[in-house]
Amino acid sequence: MLIIDAKNVDFYYSDFHALKNINIEVEKNKVIALIGPSGCGKSTFLRLLNRMNDLIDGTRMTGSILVEGENIYAPNVRVDELRKKVGMVFQKPNPFPKTIFENVAYGLRVNGNTDNTFIEERVIESIKSAALWDEVKDKLNKSAFALSGGQQQRLCIARALAISPKVVLMDEPASALDPISTAKIEELIYELKKDYTIVIVTHNMQQASRVSDKTGYFYLGELVEFDDTTKIFTNPKEYSTQNYITGRFG
Amino acid sequence: MKRFLEKFVEGALLISGSVTSITILLIIIFLFKEATGLFNSPVVEEGYVLAMNKSNPVKKLNSYQIKHIFDADITNWDEVGGKEEPIEVVRLSDLTNYYTEEELGADFENIPAKASELTASRPGIILFLPEQYIAKNFDGTLLSKETMQPGDFFGGTEWYPTASPSPQYGLLPLLLGTLWVSLGAILLSLPFGIAVSVYLAEIASMRIRNILKPLVELLAGIPSVVYGFFGLVVIVPFLQETFKLPVGETALAGSIVLGIMALPTIITVAEDAMRTVPRAIKEASLALGATHWQTIYRVIIPYSKSGITSAAVLGIGRAIGETMAVLMVTGNAAVIPHTLLEPVRTIPATIAAELGEAPVGSGHYEALFALGCILFLITLVISISIEFIGRKKY
Ligand SMILES: Nc1ncnc2c1ncn2[C@@H]1O[C@H](COP(=O)(O)OP(=O)(O)O)[C@@H](O)[C@H]1O
Ligand SMILES: [Mg+2]
Repeated sequence: MLIIDAKNVDFYYSDFHALKNINIEVEKNKVIALIGPSGCGKSTFLRLLNRMNDLIDGTRMTGSILVEGENIYAPNVRVDELRKKVGMVFQKPNPFPKTIFENVAYGLRVNGNTDNTFIEERVIESIKSAALWDEVKDKLNKSAFALSGGQQQRLCIARALAISPKVVLMDEPASALDPISTAKIEELIYELKKDYTIVIVTHNMQQASRVSDKTGYFYLGELVEFDDTTKIFTNPKEYSTQNYITGRFG
Repeated sequence: MKRFLEKFVEGALLISGSVTSITILLIIIFLFKEATGLFNSPVVEEGYVLAMNKSNPVKKLNSYQIKHIFDADITNWDEVGGKEEPIEVVRLSDLTNYYTEEELGADFENIPAKASELTASRPGIILFLPEQYIAKNFDGTLLSKETMQPGDFFGGTEWYPTASPSPQYGLLPLLLGTLWVSLGAILLSLPFGIAVSVYLAEIASMRIRNILKPLVELLAGIPSVVYGFFGLVVIVPFLQETFKLPVGETALAGSIVLGIMALPTIITVAEDAMRTVPRAIKEASLALGATHWQTIYRVIIPYSKSGITSAAVLGIGRAIGETMAVLMVTGNAAVIPHTLLEPVRTIPATIAAELGEAPVGSGHYEALFALGCILFLITLVISISIEFIGRKKY
């Protein structure tokens, strides 16, 4: 079954036509990379998948996006429920001004979980999944701001994983990090694939080719090409894709 | 030439800066200098003396004791540290009970001698006389050099500056009145102010916000007499009706009026704090499936805690120093309040109401300055704590 199925998606910021007729199908437990030059609409598309663009005034979407077969833009959909299913990691680490533990527990608490043993188990599990456990196990009650940027980003990943989403959206999760942290995050994405479907925006070509199964190339609001990653990087159909991945522009 | 001009401007700025600082400093020094005069002012009404029998072991009385002796609340010397001996209070007019008018003389020329004689003959006497009737060789203990003690002011439970023979300058009723009214004001306005600022910062659409925000700020510009007048004709009768009070002018009325006056400050400061919550953190919360309300009370309010605290403290600051409106609605009874439904009197209201009638340099006048110092110290503590809160960030 398709976990994400976007059909004929058009999106507008007021008058600006930011996405033009996007069609993407994503299978379960795959990593999808979205690449393309700055301003081409990658983040915009990603934020459509958990309806984050609802927060911006004057936006409009046509077409449909199905997650696990349900149209997430149907009128009776509860956005908070959707976001529990489709988690998100942002470009810059954005931990809450709370302890490390409470950062990860947050999603569980707003979900109405009050069972402290369950919360504790889940928090530890999530931090372990985010490959952060060894570094923070002694300071779970310290402020999240005491961590390095790379650690903070992995904490944000742990936070997203804690509520057991089906899909994890990542918007350039390593762009603000040093090479070592970046490598750790890439490794982590590879691990997470077993349990989650991941859609990752990146403008790092090597990263896309290393971590993803399928790659979509966006250009000026259009999805120029969407195919297996190996194919995109070795034998792209479109001239524009080839130009971009060989670094002739972007 | 240009260099010279720059130096000149620099110098002018330096001078105006120092002049301002020095002026402020001088005002503070003046305030405290006048205030300390209180502790050199006599316990006994100016121009009068108190006299007691020489055998009486009590050689000192504070103003509180004197007042209660003359009010006949204290009737025995053992209550003020003396022997068991009934107190016999004698005022100038009472001398006719002991002596005939002939004995006192047609022009009262014998009063000094008779006063001395009376004091010497009656062990329990306390005599209250104008200074001029005290003979050179007066036979008794004179209480003329006694001055007000810090305890009379800081620990005094009565404010009665025109009491005779010993005026009462007790700080406590006024201080408590001020604190009660201000505390009540903040308890009323803080929840409401935070609710409004949450609404403005998070819920209201841009259009509504653009109408409401200036309206709230307009509230801050209304003169306080107008608030006082509003309180007097609306809130005071309302309270009197609802609580079936003998008078509606109560601490609660003051709190309500001050609460309304503090709202604009609280709303503006708290709303600004909430708007500084980074978008990234709000999005993080929403992306984890939190609803808008959960985001407000789990992320936005905790994140703007220090801003909200400054709002509260600024609101209190406004309330504590406010004079006019409070003067109009609190009933101005200088008694220690037990509930919010009693009349109280605040420090600023006291100063405003009494400074005009206190003779310059008198104990009363100096006591009002001492009140001013207390008010100054309270607001100083408040502004220091704002600094402190403002600096404390995550
Ligand atoms: N909030 C917004 N309001 C208006 N235009 C926006 C907004 N966010 C993004 N855009 C525009 O939409 C286009 C796509 O942006 P984005 O999806 O952020 O690009 P990318 O992530 O690929 O760099 C850009 O031209 C950008 O200027
Ligand atoms: Mg982007």
